[in-house]
Amino acid sequence: MRILLIVFAPVIGGLIVGFERIIRARMQRRIGPPLFQPFYDFLKLADKRKMMVHSSHAFLGLMHFISLWFALAVLLLGGDLILVIFLHLLSTSLLILAGFSTRSVFSHLGANRTAISVLAYEPVLIVIAVSIFMLTGSFTAASVFSYPAPLLFKMPLAFIALLLILPIKMKKSPFDVADAHQEITGGVELEFSGIFYEAVFTAKWLDYIFCYTLVYLFAGSNVTLGIALIGFVFFFTNALDNSTARVNYKQMLRFSLAVSFSLAFVNLIINILL
Amino acid sequence: MKLSAFRKKSPWILHYNAGGCNGCDIEILACLAPKYDIERFGMINTGNPKQSDILLVTGPVTKRSRERLVEIYSQMPEPKVVVCCGVCACSGGVFRDMYNCEGGVDQFIPVDVYVCGCGARPEQIIDGVVEALSILEKKTKAMEETVQLKNQPVNEGTQLNRRNTAAAIIQPQ
Ligand code: SF4
Repeated sequence: MRILLIVFAPVIGGLIVGFERIIRARMQRRIGPPLFQPFYDFLKLADKRKMMVHSSHAFLGLMHFISLWFALAVLLLGGDLILVIFLHLLSTSLLILAGFSTRSVFSHLGANRTAISVLAYEPVLIVIAVSIFMLTGSFTAASVFSYPAPLLFKMPLAFIALLLILPIKMKKSPFDVADAHQEITGGVELEFSGIFYEAVFTAKWLDYIFCYTLVYLFAGSNVTLGIALIGFVFFFTNALDNSTARVNYKQMLRFSLAVSFSLAFVNLIINILL
Repeated sequence: MKLSAFRKKSPWILHYNAGGCNGCDIEILACLAPKYDIERFGMINTGNPKQSDILLVTGPVTKRSRERLVEIYSQMPEPKVVVCCGVCACSGGVFRDMYNCEGGVDQFIPVDVYVCGCGARPEQIIDGVVEALSILEKKTKAMEETVQLKNQPVNEGTQLNRRNTAAAIIQPQ
């Protein structure tokens, strides 16, 4: 089951993205594109001429995709949470390197902002992982999947903290400074084209699966609760995306370090004391 | 099924205003709004030449914007199509023969579809883009060529003449 999920993760992620585009359009009273739209985009991009900036740029984009898939596999197979977080960080830093390796100003801006958003969500994730350790006595995701009681009721504050940093990770308003489509037209992904853009394009789908698996962790061994949580987070992030405008990166950093981080930290202290 | 069949299903648009009055631009944006909702055909306004298929140009080409127009066009990977929105982009429109105006877009880059009207209506723009899609499907990657005009004074003359002079600069016989 898990192996299947890992192998077909890009496909499932693409379906989620397609579904999300429909839901977002319906929220704006539009009809929206068909469900398979991300795959049409994918196949069309495969047909376009490749305009490589230079080979290491394209290679870094591909490695971003592969290392993200690897991080996802480690998470789903029940690996060490700290390791998973750092593998995810590694894949993001490959993308940042790719952004800095071109001479485009927008690409540099996007890479800068991606680095800042890593700064915003990474500490929170680490603190959440540590509080999971305090609760279950182990850093592995497998121990969470087999934990009898759902983690959600033991660490609700950490869940709220995760909910507040997910828009940063999924590049959604109000914290989509890294993507900022109307402002820097995608940032780091700007210089990718043709088949090499697909690596970055599908990496976003993998990121969705990654985020929803993190959400699923909070349900422990309770599958129904897990699915309910994923549905809730799905609608929450989309409603948030549709109803807010972008904040600037300083506000994002301040918010996530002041609110999300302290929520997660308070949760950690409660977990230690109890 | 061949890959080129999917070009029709996901056209990504790049929108460039070469010096118009913004009338056509807000009509293009109206296409994206809930009433016309061209996203249901899979269109996205990318704003990024490296990932788009259709170049929507509005407004007459001015002396300042012609290099950018050619630059943007040459940065788009093939296959690509160009759609002129509004009478300004087709021929210069009300700005034709003004001292700062170079005329239509087709003097500098090959144009596939002309959409008339001063403000082209959203229905017309959608029609033009749908027409462009059928052209896009037939195109092969080798068909497009650009004309670079760096530091070249623009002479009066026919469209063909201008394009030929420009081509002669690139490849002197
Ligand atoms: S065609 Fe008319 S509305 Fe469009 S840019 Fe020209 S003057 Fe403005």
